[in-house]
Amino acid sequence: MTETTQGTPGIERADGRQIETIHVSRFARFRTIAITVLNLGVFFVLWEVVARAEVINPLFFPKAGDMFAALFNGFADGTIWPQLSHSLTNFLIGLAISAVIGIPVGLLMGASKVADLILSPYVWAMTSLPRVALIPLLILIMGFGNAMQLTIIVLSAVFPIMVNCMAGVKTVEPSLIRAGEVFGANRPQIYLKVILPYTLPFVIAGVNQGIARGLVGMLIGELLGGGGNGLGYLLDKAGEQFDAPMLYATLILLAVMSVGLVQAMRWLEQRAAPWRDIARA
Amino acid sequence: MGHVEAHHAPGALRAVSDESPEPALIEALHVTAGYENRRELTRLIALRDVSLQVRRGEFLAIVGPSGCGKTTFINLIAGFVKPTEGSVRVRGSEVAGPGADRAMVFQDYALLPWRTVERNIRFAMENRRGHVPKSAQAGRVARALELVGLTGFEKSYPHELSGGMRQRVGIARALVTEPEILLMDEPFGAVDAMTREAMQAELEKIIAETRQTVVFITHSIDEAILLADRIVVISKRPGTIREVIDVDLPRPRFDEQADVQRSPRFGEIRSHLWSLLADEALGAKQAAR
Ligand SMILES: Nc1ncnc2c1ncn2[C@@H]1O[C@H](COP(=O)(O)OP(=O)(O)O)[C@@H](O)[C@H]1O
Ligand SMILES: [Mg+2]
Repeated sequence: MTETTQGTPGIERADGRQIETIHVSRFARFRTIAITVLNLGVFFVLWEVVARAEVINPLFFPKAGDMFAALFNGFADGTIWPQLSHSLTNFLIGLAISAVIGIPVGLLMGASKVADLILSPYVWAMTSLPRVALIPLLILIMGFGNAMQLTIIVLSAVFPIMVNCMAGVKTVEPSLIRAGEVFGANRPQIYLKVILPYTLPFVIAGVNQGIARGLVGMLIGELLGGGGNGLGYLLDKAGEQFDAPMLYATLILLAVMSVGLVQAMRWLEQRAAPWRDIARA
Repeated sequence: MGHVEAHHAPGALRAVSDESPEPALIEALHVTAGYENRRELTRLIALRDVSLQVRRGEFLAIVGPSGCGKTTFINLIAGFVKPTEGSVRVRGSEVAGPGADRAMVFQDYALLPWRTVERNIRFAMENRRGHVPKSAQAGRVARALELVGLTGFEKSYPHELSGGMRQRVGIARALVTEPEILLMDEPFGAVDAMTREAMQAELEKIIAETRQTVVFITHSIDEAILLADRIVVISKRPGTIREVIDVDLPRPRFDEQADVQRSPRFGEIRSHLWSLLADEALGAKQAAR
């Protein structure tokens, strides 16, 4: 919400539209941030209070302060950063591979009936198959370690990306394609100038889903795939050692990581298709 | 009810007639067209045995109940749909697909939402190589925008414009390459009544200047009479030509002095068209039973 006051006297532009300058209260700009900070502050304080009361066994529910201490110490003594960086790197590489494979294949499936017919059964099977089911096979093939962890990320992220891109192409308004044909666009031009821009929001939605699924895949790989690397390993170790503060610290890191990625995609989305956002509003 | 002969003598302003030595610009010869349903192994006949000639510089309106095949007919000329029988020719040669000589104005505007007004209009010039030289494009855009009264909106996006303004962009895009033939499929169907009338007047002015040949679909009888040199009435199921009516009203028709809409001749044509289309509506109802 923005608070507006009286506009300055109208300035008439060449096209005859009246443009006024509006003033937005200085507080409004910071309000979102202020509310978020306050909200989180209250959350952690409540956490601390509840934990101190020891209504719940401290073994499962540490104090917020202890959690932050574990987080701080973990970064200070170098137990967290290598694992975080391992997970993040793996994840981003996996996501990039998924996008590079998923987007073109999805577009192809949306545009070509034959490609759709041939690929559909596999894509849908892989989209609905729980990822965990693949772990034993992947371990059998690749053993423990990076290759296997990367593979599970790609297998998790690539199919939602594919399916969304395919769906996006199918929503392109036929009259836009006809307009392309009337005004002389050949097939590649129609793809480049009509279908792809129209589908862009779907591509981004697909990547968003890919992020969510990919994170799950990443954790499965790190938790079940062994290898002694990544945030999953950190979780596993903290659990074994009954180190509740570290366990919670890792969970917070995971939450921050996924929220950060989703926010980055939102930012990208707004830049990629402003016309859609405004049309929706 | 006023009776109007099917093929009226040529109007005072346009000395075109069937005996004219000039060959037709657009010619449909015994055209039948339909849509296949592969699952049920059937073909819906949208138009049957339609023969029609459109002369150079003529403004032809097509009216008929919805679903009678008007869009199919215009799509045959545009080259989107192929006839199952008969042939559609432009300047004597068979239509094989869309071409630079024909531009279309769509009912739903069909503007690219991620492009500004200016870039939407450029779209008509940038795909065919060497069609309009790059150096001439900016001037063409400016001229087209001036023609439709949208100067100053170059940088606006379609979603920032009203329906009437969007359709002006659609018209500017179709005009910018100066195609010989303008195909318009219910172009004002989605704009409000006031805007509609203003745009009809504008279109008449533009066409008087560009001398393009226009095929114009509408479901408004008044619009057809106000704009067209000839009106084709199509009947339903399957679409066939019911009647072709010459509109021998003087131009310009949107001149306030002329007041064409109140002339007796306008009334005659109007009531004749009404009776034809009322038959159609009744026929369609009976067929549906
Ligand atoms: N792409 C299509 N596939 C199948 N049937 C169609 C298609 N387009 C139109 N039709 C059918 O063909 C007939 C004529 O349609 P159309 O030419 O759009 O009529 P109009 O423009 O006069 O309303 C209608 O019965 C319609 O349902
Ligand atoms: Mg139609």
